[in-house]
Amino acid sequence: MKLAKFLTTTAAAALLASAVEAANIKIGASLPITGGLSVSGEKHKRGYELCTKLINDAGGILGRQVELVVSDNRSDPATAINQYERFINVDKVDAVYGTFSSRLTFPVASILSKYNMVHPVPSGGALRIYEQGYKNLFYFQVSAAEYTGKDVMAVMKDIIASGQAPKTVAVVSADDFFANAISAGLLGQKVKDPATDKEIADLAPGYLADAGIKVVMQEKWPEEGFNDWLNLANSIKRSGAEMIVGLTASAEEAVQLTRALKTVGATPKLVYLSQGAQNEFIEGVGKEAAEGVLIHTTWHKDVPFEGTLAGKPFNNADFVKAFEAAYGVEPDEDSAIPFAVCQGIEQAITGANSTDNAKMGEWLHARTKDNPVRTVLGRFSWDERGLAKDKEHIMTQWQDGQLKFVYPKGEFEGVVPFSYPKAGF
Amino acid sequence: MADILQILILGLALGGVIALMGSGLSLVFGVMRIVNLAHPSLIIGGAYVTYWAFKMTGVDPIVMLPVASLIMAAIGVLLYRLMFERETKSAKYSEMTVLLTFALAMMVEGLLGGLFTNTQRVVSPDYATDAFFIGDLFIPKGQLYAGIVSLVIITALSLFLKYSRLGYAIRATTQNREAAELLGVNVNFICILAFAIGIGLAGAAGSLVSFVFSFFPAKHWEWIAMLMSVVVLGGMGSILGTVVAALLLSVIAAFVGTWIGATWSTLTFFLALFLILLVRPQGLFGEKPEMA
Repeated sequence: MKLAKFLTTTAAAALLASAVEAANIKIGASLPITGGLSVSGEKHKRGYELCTKLINDAGGILGRQVELVVSDNRSDPATAINQYERFINVDKVDAVYGTFSSRLTFPVASILSKYNMVHPVPSGGALRIYEQGYKNLFYFQVSAAEYTGKDVMAVMKDIIASGQAPKTVAVVSADDFFANAISAGLLGQKVKDPATDKEIADLAPGYLADAGIKVVMQEKWPEEGFNDWLNLANSIKRSGAEMIVGLTASAEEAVQLTRALKTVGATPKLVYLSQGAQNEFIEGVGKEAAEGVLIHTTWHKDVPFEGTLAGKPFNNADFVKAFEAAYGVEPDEDSAIPFAVCQGIEQAITGANSTDNAKMGEWLHARTKDNPVRTVLGRFSWDERGLAKDKEHIMTQWQDGQLKFVYPKGEFEGVVPFSYPKAGF
Repeated sequence: MADILQILILGLALGGVIALMGSGLSLVFGVMRIVNLAHPSLIIGGAYVTYWAFKMTGVDPIVMLPVASLIMAAIGVLLYRLMFERETKSAKYSEMTVLLTFALAMMVEGLLGGLFTNTQRVVSPDYATDAFFIGDLFIPKGQLYAGIVSLVIITALSLFLKYSRLGYAIRATTQNREAAELLGVNVNFICILAFAIGIGLAGAAGSLVSFVFSFFPAKHWEWIAMLMSVVVLGGMGSILGTVVAALLLSVIAAFVGTWIGATWSTLTFFLALFLILLVRPQGLFGEKPEMA
């Protein structure tokens, strides 16, 4: 009798647990928690986790709790693909969050498109990803990386007009999806589809040529395993370039390059890096070497972006406060961007009143400038390719050990004058 | 001419650090036939010890080197006893150690990530980004100091191996394990000692690497292929070979990086590995394996 009672109770508990699980909204994210991209991968995980926790604390989405399933893809594209397949076919997730980097996003995008999943991309700015004709791709950053140079030149507008701009430039970059994309725009190269070799865009003459800045040195380093930073920095110094463009694939490379430039005693008038807005950058290179370094970013802690979470206002300042309370450190864009992705998916499910990805995709595509997705990165609406409309990069510059924003001017308070020229390292 | 001299200086400076990174790997293989794929992850362990000591107390990484070395050596003893000791009689010992140390590398990476997060770190004493400028030339202080300390440690290790009683025993075990045992050498103790020295060298290399390169737990995957190239070219088990190979490859890579392109500089190490395995598989200073 006792045994029968025990079995009945156990079965009831199991059924109840499975019913509760079924009621949860399950969302999968494959991230590079280990491997070469782990620095950013771990921060992405924190962004997703914090957002999920805050949503659940506020009652969940459509009255259902959110269950986040994160897998470590070890920075490996094949593993990332397998994990998203598993999320969809085995874990039966209701939605997914994107992974980190163009390198991983490019192959993952085709899989998620095959299953008609909404694919919110936190990081993966290479234009070729958005030219594949995938239906439900939504990039949660500013436009494709190829067009980043436009905002760099916008910062330099005044010095170009007054004839004080650098006349020569050394462009050095990682041989990486993201860095190559920015480089293509700056140098005016053609962008081709890697599968078909079909031309996607011709970016000639390029933002540097447009601004009358002559390229005197161009160099790439391999995607992984490069250690000879001093030699590279020495070549840059010997080129005599007045401007250095360092298109690094990670903040770690930005630290290595900047430290090497300091060591060799390079004296450019301006340094622009594609990474380096992270806290580790200033810790790694020091206040003096960082001074005047210009970096593009999608997010800055002081920008008064207005977002929502669980149907209530949740602004950038709220995010910074919540992040610091949860993790004891200041966030950077590697956590803010995935947080915005999570906000976007929450709004899509609520807006579509369903976890049907087709309906969520329709709702996201229907966003407009006046009726956008509202996140800690500001407002989002997308073109048919999935690239954000009407958004510009926030151009930041290290000034006196603080990351200040110097562009866009007049859009919000706190923009400081662009400091130029750089006084050595 | 100044350009050539400058490239040579930078190549040698980098080579000095790589030599120390590879010497522990070479020693451990030479004595115990353990292909320690976890060696770079243990170097990162040493780098973290140094980083936190610098961050919390401001102690210089070079001063911290003996401490990091001792801590890692103690970890080495523990690892040997837990993972390798019972397998030494296995006929496929070397092959097994490849799998064991691969697993160990992943475990160390996970452990370091859990303890210290995956955030990149670098130690920044003043000299790390400074240089001696002599006319048109410069010598980076960080690399110079790291290179000098590396060579001092490697010289001390070579003298220890050549002239001390324990050194004799280690060399005897390297040359013929069974014969050494017959002559009264406590081979198991010698293996523990050599493994501890090898991992202690990883700790020492970690202290130096901490201000030369930035690091994070997964960084070891980028270093293992480079270190294996150096150790194989030098001759697995030969400390002198490791030093010569590290200096040679670093200098060649520096010239390739400057004259052909940075993309190709890393390839120098793999090309050398490929060629040496084709032409002289025992490496520059290794002994030719006996034919069965």
